[in-house]
Amino acid sequence: MFRNIIWLVIIVLLFAANLWFGSVPLQWDEVLSILQGQITGNSVAEIIVLQFRLPQATTAMAVGVALSVAGLLLQTTFANPLAGPSVLGVSSGASFGVALVLLFGGATGIQLTSADWYYREFTLVAAALAGALAVLSIIVVVSSRIGNSVTVLIIGIMIGYLVNAAVGTLQFYSNSQDLQAYVLWGLGSFSKTTVVQSLLLLASVLLIAAATLFFVKPLNAMLLGESYARSSGFNTRMLNRTFIFISGLFIALGTAFTGPIAFLGLAVPHLARTAYNTSDHRILLPAVMLIGAALSLSCNLIARLPGWDSSLPINAVTSVIGAPIVIWVIVKARSYGR
Amino acid sequence: MEDNQPVARELLALNHLKTGYAVGRKQIVITAAITATIYSGEFIAVLGPNGAGKSTLLKTILGHLKPLHGKIEWQNKPTDQMSARQMAGCMAAVLTDKIDDRYLTAYHVVSTGRYPYGSLTGKLTPYDRQTIDEAMTATGVETLASRKFYSLSDGEKQKTMIARAIAQQTPLICLDEPTAFIDSPGKVSLMRLLKKLTVEHQKSILLTTHDSELAMQFADKLWLLGNQDFQSGLPQTMIKEGHINRLFDQADVAFNPLTLRFESK
Repeated sequence: MFRNIIWLVIIVLLFAANLWFGSVPLQWDEVLSILQGQITGNSVAEIIVLQFRLPQATTAMAVGVALSVAGLLLQTTFANPLAGPSVLGVSSGASFGVALVLLFGGATGIQLTSADWYYREFTLVAAALAGALAVLSIIVVVSSRIGNSVTVLIIGIMIGYLVNAAVGTLQFYSNSQDLQAYVLWGLGSFSKTTVVQSLLLLASVLLIAAATLFFVKPLNAMLLGESYARSSGFNTRMLNRTFIFISGLFIALGTAFTGPIAFLGLAVPHLARTAYNTSDHRILLPAVMLIGAALSLSCNLIARLPGWDSSLPINAVTSVIGAPIVIWVIVKARSYGR
Repeated sequence: MEDNQPVARELLALNHLKTGYAVGRKQIVITAAITATIYSGEFIAVLGPNGAGKSTLLKTILGHLKPLHGKIEWQNKPTDQMSARQMAGCMAAVLTDKIDDRYLTAYHVVSTGRYPYGSLTGKLTPYDRQTIDEAMTATGVETLASRKFYSLSDGEKQKTMIARAIAQQTPLICLDEPTAFIDSPGKVSLMRLLKKLTVEHQKSILLTTHDSELAMQFADKLWLLGNQDFQSGLPQTMIKEGHINRLFDQADVAFNPLTLRFESK
């Protein structure tokens, strides 16, 4: 409990730092008075904090929680330490939706994205969500017919390849301008959301995350493997389906608003297990939410460190932090002689 | 010794049960049609050569596999009409599945035996804790409670899983090859422990094993599985009627009924 409170404090500090720091330097008391709703007379600062940094930090937090909990659920469901949001093909589905919107027009000569900038952003979110949910429903149907969760995992990876092939074909026939827009989307960014979107995202993520707390007992039972979970009185088939659906929903929500974010969902559960020296989900689920939010906010902060003119792509930062964690996990597992 | 010696109750009845796997629409039947009953307080050992379907039979009884034919009834109730949770109140399992998690403690593993009961969050009641402590003491792993499960020896792991099954407080415990990978004195003490459970707590034990000599020594009843063949009865009867020889003898190895051992011809 004490450690969780420390994490909460760290999150609040990181959130504040996310509002404070950026390419445009602001005074802290200026930020504070903007947040309190006092008119500072400096409307530029107000727009920067309320329209840009606040939704960005909120989105970073929401996506951090969503992907990390998804990663934990997938790792427990598939009893595989390397399972993560990218393996189910759900984020590939989101990419496919976005590729259709961004590239299809150029590839076929039909102008689909003629509307203004804001409208186009909305279309992208809708397309990503549709793509992610389409793949998710395929996965759920497959998992309801096939009991073996590893088979579902492999099918998810294969769907990812198929979707990527379609995206590659679209890329081949599209013009360089559209291609650049797609590549930029793929690099991931927390700054694509409006204030309303970011708050809705955070609210829905926290709601689903709270719902996962009801599954602490079956999740713990599944640590002993599917057969033992069954003998402890759980309908493992139904549970597998539920966990795949919840994590798919998390990935769909996260990816739709930010583009695919690498490594966060894979690395955070490992960090939490090591930090708390446990795999008990009663401790791990809240820990993963807190560490996920904190790590995501840190990555967003590093991406926009003062001194850099513009922000780094968020995927570059999460990969630089996440990949070493995954390597360390593998090396650590090997050193125990496995 | 006591006046009110508990009367053996009928727990599980197998009725023309055929087990095996369904691959697509094809059924691969492994065991013959088995009709047998398990009574409370009975120690039953399932013997048979490799591939005879011992594990398949156990998994079918536990509800992990569907019967290909016939019925399984728990106290006159078909088990396929029971939920996983109801089943978990009737029979506990000790399986050959490996537990990969590196952070689970032995105590946590045993505590999952209490999951069929209790609250949504899995918070343990004082009674749960007492049950877990007693189960761990019964199998002699109480000092290992805070150790990580993966760091235990094979014998300690096996005893921890048996403690989990005891903590589940079911009338029947099914064990799949519990004596495999354990040294010889360990095997004997494990069998003695299981025997004690049947005598002192009226639990029924159904175990598969390749340690046929130990099984004949400790079990009340043998279930012999062969190629499309099933025999059950007292160990002495099974030996006397030559079923052991028929199932196990090979060109150069034979079972000697006098020494109760397999010897080279």
